[in-house]
Amino acid sequence: MPRKPRKRLLKLASLLFLLAVALTSCQTEKREATEETVTIVFKHGKLAGGPEALRAILARFEAENPDIKVKDEVLPASTDEQHQFYVINLEAGSPEFDVLSMDVIWVEEFARAGWLRPLDGIFPPEEREDFFAGPISAVTYQGSVYAIPWYIDAGLLYYRKDLLEKYSMPVPRTWQELVSTAKLIMEKEKDIYGFIWQGKQYEGLVCNVMEYMWSRGGGLIDEDGRFNALKKENIEALQFIYDLIHTYRVSPPLVTTAMEETTRHIFGSGRAIFMRNWPYAWKIFEREGSAVKGKVGVTVLPAFEGYSSAATLGGWQLGVNRYSPHPEAAERLVRYLTSYEVQKEMSIKMGYRPPRRSLYEDEELRRAQPFIVELYPVFERARPRPETPYYMMITQVLQPEFSAAITGLKSPEEALRSIQRQVEYILKLEER
Amino acid sequence: MSRTLKKALNWLVLCVVVLWSVAPFVWQIITSFKPSAELATLPPLLPASPTLDNYISVFSDRPFGRIILNSLVVASLTTVLSILVGSLAAFGLAVLKPRGGYLFLGFVLTVSMFPPISTVSPLYIIIRELGLRDTVLALIITYTTFSLPLTIWILTNFFRSIPRELYLSARVDGCTSFQIFYRIFLPVAAPGLFATAILVFIFAWNEFLFALTFTSTVRARTVPVEIALFPGVHEMPWAEIAAASVIVTVPVVLLVFLFQRRIIEGLTAGAVKR
Amino acid sequence: MKDRREGYRFLLPAAVVLLFVTVYPLFYVFWLSLHRRHLIFDISRFSGLENYAFLLQDERFLRALWNTVYFTVLSVGLELVLGMVVALSLQRAFSGRGIVRALVLLPWALPTVVSARMWEWMYNTDFGIINYLLGVDVNWLGSPFWALNAAVLMDVWKTTPFVALILMAGLQVIPRELYRSAMVDGAGSLYIFWRITLPLLKPVILVVLLFRTIDAFRVFDAIYVLTGGGPANTTETLSIYAYKVLFQTLQFGYGSTIAMVVFLCVGFISVFYVRLLSR
Repeated sequence: MPRKPRKRLLKLASLLFLLAVALTSCQTEKREATEETVTIVFKHGKLAGGPEALRAILARFEAENPDIKVKDEVLPASTDEQHQFYVINLEAGSPEFDVLSMDVIWVEEFARAGWLRPLDGIFPPEEREDFFAGPISAVTYQGSVYAIPWYIDAGLLYYRKDLLEKYSMPVPRTWQELVSTAKLIMEKEKDIYGFIWQGKQYEGLVCNVMEYMWSRGGGLIDEDGRFNALKKENIEALQFIYDLIHTYRVSPPLVTTAMEETTRHIFGSGRAIFMRNWPYAWKIFEREGSAVKGKVGVTVLPAFEGYSSAATLGGWQLGVNRYSPHPEAAERLVRYLTSYEVQKEMSIKMGYRPPRRSLYEDEELRRAQPFIVELYPVFERARPRPETPYYMMITQVLQPEFSAAITGLKSPEEALRSIQRQVEYILKLEER
Repeated sequence: MSRTLKKALNWLVLCVVVLWSVAPFVWQIITSFKPSAELATLPPLLPASPTLDNYISVFSDRPFGRIILNSLVVASLTTVLSILVGSLAAFGLAVLKPRGGYLFLGFVLTVSMFPPISTVSPLYIIIRELGLRDTVLALIITYTTFSLPLTIWILTNFFRSIPRELYLSARVDGCTSFQIFYRIFLPVAAPGLFATAILVFIFAWNEFLFALTFTSTVRARTVPVEIALFPGVHEMPWAEIAAASVIVTVPVVLLVFLFQRRIIEGLTAGAVKR
Repeated sequence: MKDRREGYRFLLPAAVVLLFVTVYPLFYVFWLSLHRRHLIFDISRFSGLENYAFLLQDERFLRALWNTVYFTVLSVGLELVLGMVVALSLQRAFSGRGIVRALVLLPWALPTVVSARMWEWMYNTDFGIINYLLGVDVNWLGSPFWALNAAVLMDVWKTTPFVALILMAGLQVIPRELYRSAMVDGAGSLYIFWRITLPLLKPVILVVLLFRTIDAFRVFDAIYVLTGGGPANTTETLSIYAYKVLFQTLQFGYGSTIAMVVFLCVGFISVFYVRLLSR
């Protein structure tokens, strides 16, 4: 009788062990190529408009290439988590995915690390000329391209057309005008925020802050290519952002935890006059049943008096994993997804902005998405964040310091001085 | 203070404590039944049109079933292995009393204080070199090790409380020490094994840091990681997260309600019976 | 004698696993901490104590150290006081005690990640139940002042049951006669608490403090999920900082240095308590 428990235990243990082995192996089985077809795995962030639209596009690819099956897998929400996923897996030489979508700021880092397959062969220089300069420069590292731009993003100002008309105010061109207009309307309307934007400590905050700095004539990189954060223009820009919340009180304190969707929800339920966001929000506001349908206007971001407006360049690029077991099939998928036709379809059906200049001349697209076409000048002028393989290390310094400056934990000058010191340390050590 | 007043005060404290412990979880359950349109409105507190959509979409939009399976496998195997290895060591320490046993126990206690963050970077490198990245095996090995101190500690106390005569008389009968271990001590210590097993299971079910680092796909991802990395377009789908949280809490709640006395025995064994 | 030698065989599996999975990595992490090691860019060179020297001028590190200490002291302090109150009021037998204990145990047994998500949702500025019930409009997780305190509150919610349960077990060991004789002498309940309960409970309290202090000091999941360390790194603890350096930018050298600091601090804390205990 006393024998029993041990036997049962052993049985249970071996059963569980078998299960564990089965779990480990069954994924690999699926990936094995049969004679006729290979399966490639495509990793990307969740796309607006649900999974069906992308699935339809991929289904067409599979129909055109009967020897290739595509498995698309969605990554976690925040770009920082996606970056961490890629870094950990690529560093380990993971062959588990073939095609990956990357934020503009990652390509140089991944290329420098040798994780991406150069795509010069499938993306000739003549074709690159049709693309906006910003994304092309983001995917180029030491003369080679390592990814193809998929769609493009830039910061925009959303405003409530109806409210501006009601109080006969013009669309603000400068930040000061935005503040005074917001204040005026906030006094008369009840329960409405003036201006909302993305101020949580994450990459979005860096995008927001850069726009103020550039539109004040500042920035982080000097013309000679040196990193220089501590200057009058940047101090004033940061001070102005702080003032938006604490002095003018047109931005509610909640912006310091807001990400894109937080602000989009608030604006979409009609509770804000102005919002800074990416172009994706437009299509959602214009949907049937939206509380602000027909009431929203979009324009370039304001600038400081005497300076010109600037928008941060965003967007996603497709590249091929260096360790992919099926590089040719993966390249074919990248070619397909970044083709004229698919980019056109993605902008008409899903509202994504194509990185090809020629698409903005396309008659069909012009008719279907006049909004996107109007953004042409914004994309043409959108500015990149510092282009360096060390960007992810630098932004880890920028995010908390900017966050400290806008919440009043540090003065703008202190924050910028600290940024300068820390970034110099990073660059000095790594360039050695 | 009068008796009744004192009693009433006690009851009051009791109610506050229970309410405080349970309220956040109740709120999560309520949220999980709200359609997403109702999330952004308060009041009403209760959903106007309760829905199961969130539960359905947790399973249909993502491989949640597979992830729960991963977690179950990891937690159960960890429990079995930890009890196996741990009870051996505890028997050795408590009954056979080898020279330096106290030193070993001290070493085990020291290890239990190691912060996981201090070993995660080398373990990551080791696991990668062994080709175990993104497998449940990597988690099982790590969890077994990190739960061993607890297991050894509790079980040593348990074995010590078993009368030594039992061992000596079996010895006289000619049993080997291993036979004594699995024929006599293991069955006698079953309640202790059980209490320990529950604690280890809960630990393995809940662990996050190593799981986040060592896994990358649904092949080995566990429940806490899935909940922490819940994908949305730019923001959190709160109702779905609530539904997922409720689902993964069910096993824990069951364990707690069925075995609260054993859990408390296990927890306090180390702290009180020194 | 044979027993003793056989004993080692029983210890062997545990010893091997512990050595390989905890002790060896610890030496490895120390070795890494002496390097400038950057996995992304294949940089790896010995740099001696350079990383440790940099700690002192690294504002972010000092900030994280302070956050960790603040979180530990405040949460452990509150948990001890509240846990004591709960333990004292629950110690006498009453009907339904088992269910009450199970309910109280619930927060402790929940996955930390789940409780962080629950609280994140309750703290939500716009749609959170806390702001609604209090009738305020506080940005709990976004304000540098509130965020860390909000994390403390969550931790207090989650671990007070643990503290209370262990204290209860300790209370039950105290002989009833001691109370009875004190009551006969006409001692007040406050006097009894200070003169009898507390001194007799001291070892248990120290053990609880040891467990909780160490756990709070190495806190990771709770805050990582709740705030990710923001706003402005006001909730970034040492473990979170180390993790970000290690796995967001794969700086295994400097990240390991911070991880070593966590280890050393935890070591000091344990030695401190163990000293108190063995007095």
